[in-house]
Amino acid sequence: MDIFFQQLVNGLTIGAMFALIALGYTMVYGVMKLINFAHGDMVAGAAFVGLTIYTHIMGEAASLLAVIAIFLLTAAVVAFLGILLERAAYRPLRNAPRLSAVVSALGASLIIQNGIMLVWGPQMRIFPELIPQVSWEFGGVIVSLIQFLIMGVSLLLMVALYLFIEKTRMGAAIRAASIDQDAARLMGINVDRIIAVIFIIGASLGAVGGLFIGLYYRGITFNMGWQYGLYAFVAAIMGGIGNIPGAMLGGIILGLFNAFIAGYVSSTWADAFTFILLIVILIVRPTGILGERVAEKV
Amino acid sequence: MKQTALLSMFLFIFCCFAGGAQAENTLKIGVQAPITGKYANEGQGIDQAVRLLAEQINAKGGVLGKQIEVVSCDDEGTAMKAAICAKNLVNKGVKMVIGSYTSTCAEAAQATYYRAGVLQTTDGTSDSLTEHGYWTFFRNSFPNSAEGNFAAKYLVKEKKYQRIAILSDFSSYADGLGTAVEKAVKNLNGNIIYRGKIKSGAQNFTPVITQIKSKKPDVLFFSGYFSDGGLIRSQMVGLGLKADFVGGDSNDNPDFLKLAGKSAQGAYIINVPTPELLPYDLAKDFLKAYKAKYNMTPPSIWTLLNVDGMRAFIHAMEQNNSFDTKQASEFLHQMKDYPGITGPISFAKDGNRIGSGYMAYRIEADGSYKIVFK
Repeated sequence: MDIFFQQLVNGLTIGAMFALIALGYTMVYGVMKLINFAHGDMVAGAAFVGLTIYTHIMGEAASLLAVIAIFLLTAAVVAFLGILLERAAYRPLRNAPRLSAVVSALGASLIIQNGIMLVWGPQMRIFPELIPQVSWEFGGVIVSLIQFLIMGVSLLLMVALYLFIEKTRMGAAIRAASIDQDAARLMGINVDRIIAVIFIIGASLGAVGGLFIGLYYRGITFNMGWQYGLYAFVAAIMGGIGNIPGAMLGGIILGLFNAFIAGYVSSTWADAFTFILLIVILIVRPTGILGERVAEKV
Repeated sequence: MKQTALLSMFLFIFCCFAGGAQAENTLKIGVQAPITGKYANEGQGIDQAVRLLAEQINAKGGVLGKQIEVVSCDDEGTAMKAAICAKNLVNKGVKMVIGSYTSTCAEAAQATYYRAGVLQTTDGTSDSLTEHGYWTFFRNSFPNSAEGNFAAKYLVKEKKYQRIAILSDFSSYADGLGTAVEKAVKNLNGNIIYRGKIKSGAQNFTPVITQIKSKKPDVLFFSGYFSDGGLIRSQMVGLGLKADFVGGDSNDNPDFLKLAGKSAQGAYIINVPTPELLPYDLAKDFLKAYKAKYNMTPPSIWTLLNVDGMRAFIHAMEQNNSFDTKQASEFLHQMKDYPGITGPISFAKDGNRIGSGYMAYRIEADGSYKIVFK
């Protein structure tokens, strides 16, 4: 039984990371009806930015304060890049056919990926052991400090985001813009600002996800954004794209599912089963688990 | 009619150019290596070392009066790119190819080189590489079966592990090595309690390690590459799996230490000696030249094994006084103990390098290697 609970912890850890990244996809889709394929590469970029901040600016000082500073600085840099991305790749196409924006997103993804390769090189870069390898045992189930941090910080951020969306004026404006941009504009909502905020939040959450990947897995490569982007994208679709709690749920389910398939069936089949699960969910509930049934515009 | 005339004119011009290209007075040597991607530091090492050796030979007047021209192709460590590289290098008219680093890539390319009569030397250790009977193929390292026998002896006879778990990835190298170790352990009546595979590059190995942990092994033998091995070692410790870690030769890379962090301490790695431990003058001179030119040491022994393959090829051509690859191949199959950077070089009929120089190292607290068994 402790194996089951251990796999649960393993799954929750990666699920939390998937959920953080999936939020970036789902929020942009919610407001702009656009799949931001460059989001995964922003996540990869965040890991590299974080590593550079640590080695060049912080002078490799390892302390709790340093770790927090890295997170804040990286989130700020990546949020800025997120706004830049929106300005350069998506705003000029706001009124263009949707397909143009998707092609632009794919192009942006390639540009960011190759940009990372040009700046940081094609080889694997390795994060230092910033989080000490400490772990606790609860009745045979081992939780390490880094796993605990990933789950805790992700949960905290998700709750904060949920409260922000549900309880603040800006959150209400975001919700309004996601229902109908034109109507929101008529009500005096500055949609351009909403979109900027969405990109800032999405990119910062992705940055935290990217740093967790770096801290947990240590090795980062310029093309890893594709892999994590795909997982997070699947998580967002599973939960119902455009739905914020849905992305969180989708991420967690995906992580758990992955861990249990890898643990009990075979690690090689984990990806295949992930997509089978996605197909099954989409057959049973075409709008995703928490997605609402929206009448198609004709 | 007019079109035919135009076409034949184009063909004529094309032939002139193609003919002109062939008459160039250089010896073209191909490098097929993962210059980008997960194994980039190994691939770059091979490319740099080949270029250094070519420079050294060119400075002494070249091979039989011809200067060496190095043509590199990046296979990214994937079979698909390897097949493309092979076609590319053959089209460019290379006489010999050094590479690739992985068995998968060497295998994907070797038929193309065989059909074109291009000599190939690789450090790939998968046994299947030499089972096709290609006269063009020469292995400059030692096959998995040799490492399997050594590893089994270490696990069963020396360390006396009672419960042995073996983990591989799906590459022809890692799977082949895992199977070789499994077979050799069984021959020594060792007890294998787990044999599994991971997807290379998946990063999250906690589910598999948790499963292995439930089987209570004394040791985990991992036959894949350092980029996964370092993480597996680190996640093993993180999950409280107290078993020893023994890594196959491809874990022998400085990045293994960085990925595993503090958990690297106490891990064992099986490989032929590291470059610094080679006792030969040739090795010391080459390492010195490499450091002077690139301001770093070669990433691993694999770099030097590849250089040895290239040296053997050039030696064969010089001895035959001909660039004919068939003659060179016949010479190489007869050659006995040609002095190499990594020790004497002789090849068996199937292209395997004869001998085995394996050792087991333990990684110490300061990151240095200590030889514990040979």
